[in-house]
Amino acid sequence: MMRPLLISRVLTLTVCILLLQGCGTTNVQSSNSFPDLLIKPRPLRAAVVLTPEFSSYKAVPNKATTLEIGAAQSSILTQVFSALIDNVTFVESVDTLEQPLDIIIRPSVVAVQLAVPSGNYLNVYEVWIKYNLAISDSDDQLLANWFMPVYGKTADSFMLQKKNAISAATDIALRDIGAKLAMDFYRIPALQGYLNDRQREQ
Amino acid sequence: MQKIPLIIAILLLAGCAATTTIDEYRSSDRQLDIEVNETVALLGRRDAGHYETDAEFVECVGDNLSSTQLKVLPEAELMDALYPWLEPRTAPKGLLRMRQLMQEGPLIKSAVKDYGIRYFVWLDGSTETAGQSGSMSCAAGPGGAGCFGFATWDKTSIYEAIVWDLDAFSEVARVRVDSEGTSYLIGAVAPIPLLTPVKNDACKGIGQQLHNLFNPK
Repeated sequence: MMRPLLISRVLTLTVCILLLQGCGTTNVQSSNSFPDLLIKPRPLRAAVVLTPEFSSYKAVPNKATTLEIGAAQSSILTQVFSALIDNVTFVESVDTLEQPLDIIIRPSVVAVQLAVPSGNYLNVYEVWIKYNLAISDSDDQLLANWFMPVYGKTADSFMLQKKNAISAATDIALRDIGAKLAMDFYRIPALQGYLNDRQREQ
Repeated sequence: MQKIPLIIAILLLAGCAATTTIDEYRSSDRQLDIEVNETVALLGRRDAGHYETDAEFVECVGDNLSSTQLKVLPEAELMDALYPWLEPRTAPKGLLRMRQLMQEGPLIKSAVKDYGIRYFVWLDGSTETAGQSGSMSCAAGPGGAGCFGFATWDKTSIYEAIVWDLDAFSEVARVRVDSEGTSYLIGAVAPIPLLTPVKNDACKGIGQQLHNLFNPK
């Protein structure tokens, strides 16, 4: 006689815990560890400006979620540009630059979007981050504003805790920065044209 | 005595197993020789917009395939080793692109050699749920909670493994597995799930076929 009562009480408790778990703000911190890139760097002198705002950036895609991606995005961009360019310096501000450079890159976050199962009616979490790379020449004249969208999603969020699922999707989106830049950085038309001109001049 | 029909129903439904069909194509009948220092690498396809081969399935096939004589490089390790060239955006979907990638990038060729990757296995497919019927109602109150009803759904798994030989840059085998089955959920105060392991059967089927394909020396 005791068993059905015990089972029903356990069920009530489980349901209450599950319901309460869905409440509150989700604060996600991304991983700062990414693998080395298999890319041969090109001979180029460049500076990448990673401002303190960029390195400590917190995205708020909705009122219930905060993504702390600043440190992770600085980390992956440092790795990617170190692999793409053989002479690259990372600074917080252009004021500290002294040596002559071929290009200056200023990354910034344009938008962050998050899709959760309750919103997209799919059993997945998705994260989009849109970056802008402002690329300037040796005189700090703007060559191009290159928009770079990156994307990550969980394969199946069933049984995944919301925080872990968003964190996994964000990490995949940040890994996508490496893939996107490896494929397209030297194909940016304005940059390609500028580098070709410089090579011809030399 | 009142529980007997319920027990009989559960036992009958539990007997409903998944049906698994395996199609295999090989360019020749002979097994694929693999040396002690060589590795089989597994990667799931993730380029399709509406589905992607889940990492859990790829891991399951890897576990079924690996043995003391056959070394398998897990997917996550492979993607890190060749980063960023096996990401969804960059992974070579055809042999021609793979060859081009290894010729253009000496670092990639060197990493493939360092890890001893001889055979590259693409896993492509998904598990879909369809034919859901029945209903289950759960309620909770101060005195307790319970679920009542009956629900059933069908699952279909279709997966394909394509094996590339990275020494010869050729496709050497293709294995396809279809698995389907029906699962049930019975609500009798506590929900009793009778799940048919459709995906697991597909994983075992494809893993076993791939295992038989290789001849570790």
